Amino acid sequence: MPEIKGPSLIKVRDLFKIYKLGEERVAALNGVDLDIEAGEFAAIVGASGSGKSTLLNMLAGLEPPTRGSIEIAGERIEKYSESKLVEFRRRHVGFIFQSYNLMPSLNAVENVALPLVFRGMDKVKREKLAIQTLEKVGLKKYMRHRPTEMSGGQQQRVGIARALVLKPDIIFADEPTGNLDSVTTLEVMKLLREISGNGKNTLCMVTHDDNLSSYADRVIRIKDGKVIENIKIQRG
Amino acid sequence: MRSSDLISMSLGSLFKRKIRTCLTILGVVIGIASIVIMVSLGIGLDRQAMEMIAEYGGLTQITVTPGGGGMDMGSRNVGGSDPTAYLLTSKSVKDIASMPHISLVSPILYVDAVIRGGRYERSGQVKAMSLEALKEKYSDFAEGGLPKEGDTLAFIFGNMVKKDFVDYKTKAGFWDTGKMPNIDFMKSPLFTIFDVEAYEEAKNPDSSQSNSGGKEENAEGQLQKKGPPKKYLVPAAGVLKGGEEDYFQYSYDVCCDIEAITPIITKVFRGRPIPGQPTNKNGKPYREIFYNELLVIVDNVDSMEETETAIRQMGYNSYSNTEWVEEERQSARQRQALLGGVGAVSLLVAAIGISNTMLMSIYERTREIGVMKVLGCRLMDIQLLFLCEAGLIGLIGGLIGNLLSFAISFIINTITKATTSVIPGWLALAGIIFSIFVSIFAGYIPSRRAMKLSPLSAIRNE
Repeated sequence: MPEIKGPSLIKVRDLFKIYKLGEERVAALNGVDLDIEAGEFAAIVGASGSGKSTLLNMLAGLEPPTRGSIEIAGERIEKYSESKLVEFRRRHVGFIFQSYNLMPSLNAVENVALPLVFRGMDKVKREKLAIQTLEKVGLKKYMRHRPTEMSGGQQQRVGIARALVLKPDIIFADEPTGNLDSVTTLEVMKLLREISGNGKNTLCMVTHDDNLSSYADRVIRIKDGKVIENIKIQRG
Repeated sequence: MRSSDLISMSLGSLFKRKIRTCLTILGVVIGIASIVIMVSLGIGLDRQAMEMIAEYGGLTQITVTPGGGGMDMGSRNVGGSDPTAYLLTSKSVKDIASMPHISLVSPILYVDAVIRGGRYERSGQVKAMSLEALKEKYSDFAEGGLPKEGDTLAFIFGNMVKKDFVDYKTKAGFWDTGKMPNIDFMKSPLFTIFDVEAYEEAKNPDSSQSNSGGKEENAEGQLQKKGPPKKYLVPAAGVLKGGEEDYFQYSYDVCCDIEAITPIITKVFRGRPIPGQPTNKNGKPYREIFYNELLVIVDNVDSMEETETAIRQMGYNSYSNTEWVEEERQSARQRQALLGGVGAVSLLVAAIGISNTMLMSIYERTREIGVMKVLGCRLMDIQLLFLCEAGLIGLIGGLIGNLLSFAISFIINTITKATTSVIPGWLALAGIIFSIFVSIFAGYIPSRRAMKLSPLSAIRNE
């Protein structure tokens, strides 16, 4: 196994994911090495079937790799048990979904506060924190609205607030604009850029849309389960 | 996760699927109600049986009778040289009284007597016992009360004794005419004749001659005295409470203090055998008075068996309700198990309903559960969430089931006009606890399944 070194927040070495489809073995990831530094906004770009989603799932600890190592925030998570992974996510990870995945019976504040509920925070404290975070994404006046009463863009902002509320070390976003129209996509991307700020938060976004990579500090291009390009973009 | 959040989230998801939740709860309600009602019927029947036993002498009472052949000397073949060995005497009373766990021992003597009041008379037995025994057995008086120590002889009359009085000329009484004899025990003078044989003879010489032919040989000398026997003026000390139709076990009793009656009968039958008392080989009476029975009361139900065994070892016979109670308890247990089992079947069906509902709900909420996992909800909390939902179904079902049981129990008791169904507090509580327990049990497998769902299901896009 290759040595892991450097100041990176995420270090992936020689990562394989092989699915068995009957007799055949399909390699979704075929030896991935990458580093993402703390405070970076990284975009993992690739066509569908390239293995980019599998990579994200593995980074977020949703799926175990077949082989290789993943180190995030100083923890080697590739051999973690499921309950340890949950624990790990609770401490370090925020997640933004493509289809928002808000709880339909909860309003915006309650949705944002949900990860805090899982942490056992008391109601007054978590509501305060949730409202503060909603304010950051510009949705304070919608805080008592339920997901069904909001537009897709608004829902995704709630989703972003929910990922932010924990002040995680890293936020993963799985095609965050995949369900949005171009105008809203622009808004959401601006927001993500804003959140990433200047090294305040580490973001790792998966997308198939090459245009969106322009918002990122680093673009990692994936094809056939391999990193074919990994460039740092200098922003002025 | 805080338990308050856990409960409110569980309640939230139950509330979201109102109709399904209601139907599932309904299953539990019916299950619990049927168990509680069935067991309550068992308890009611058991209680009725115990009340009946209590009416027949209670649970701590032992009746001791003479050993061997009893008071009839002709058939006595035990006791060796002393034919009175196992008869009940004042010594027997003392012996039994010295045993542990005894709260009362009283001799009981049945004395034949004719009681006359106005133109009515009652020919029958008077039950004589100690004052303590009278106090123990007869407590509710309509008029008068218990005799006191040192009082002259006075009788206590049961509330229905009047029915045993007959017109002494026509021989017709309540049972013939349906008319209640008009006697006021407390006010009208009552006369008592202890020498019944002589009394009957004086009234009707021919019939008594032929009736008591056998006995005449024994009491030859005494029967020569002709003329009516002495009448004693014995007042009533009290009349037991109760209407003329309110039967209970002492309703037909006439009783008195044994200390007050023995001097009188000894005097009446001086030199002759007292009727009912044994005589020796020569037909002569013994000095002592032998009691028909001893009444023994034990201070707790658990010492009954031990005490009875000890009494039997002394050579006496004894009778108590212990065996009856034991039999009754055993059959009550069987009955309750059977009835409870019938109820349990419907709860089992309800439990399957819970499992089914929970499984369906988990499939529906696969995505939600996945999201919760991605957001860092502990696996244990996910399981707890579902167990909590199941438990809430059980709790609500149990509570409503209990209310329903109380209603049904009330209806049953109203229809049967008796306490056929009894729901004690412990049964209601046990019903709720059982309901929660069964529901959680039913929710266990679904909750494990929820816990094991992959977080990836949250990522998949429809």
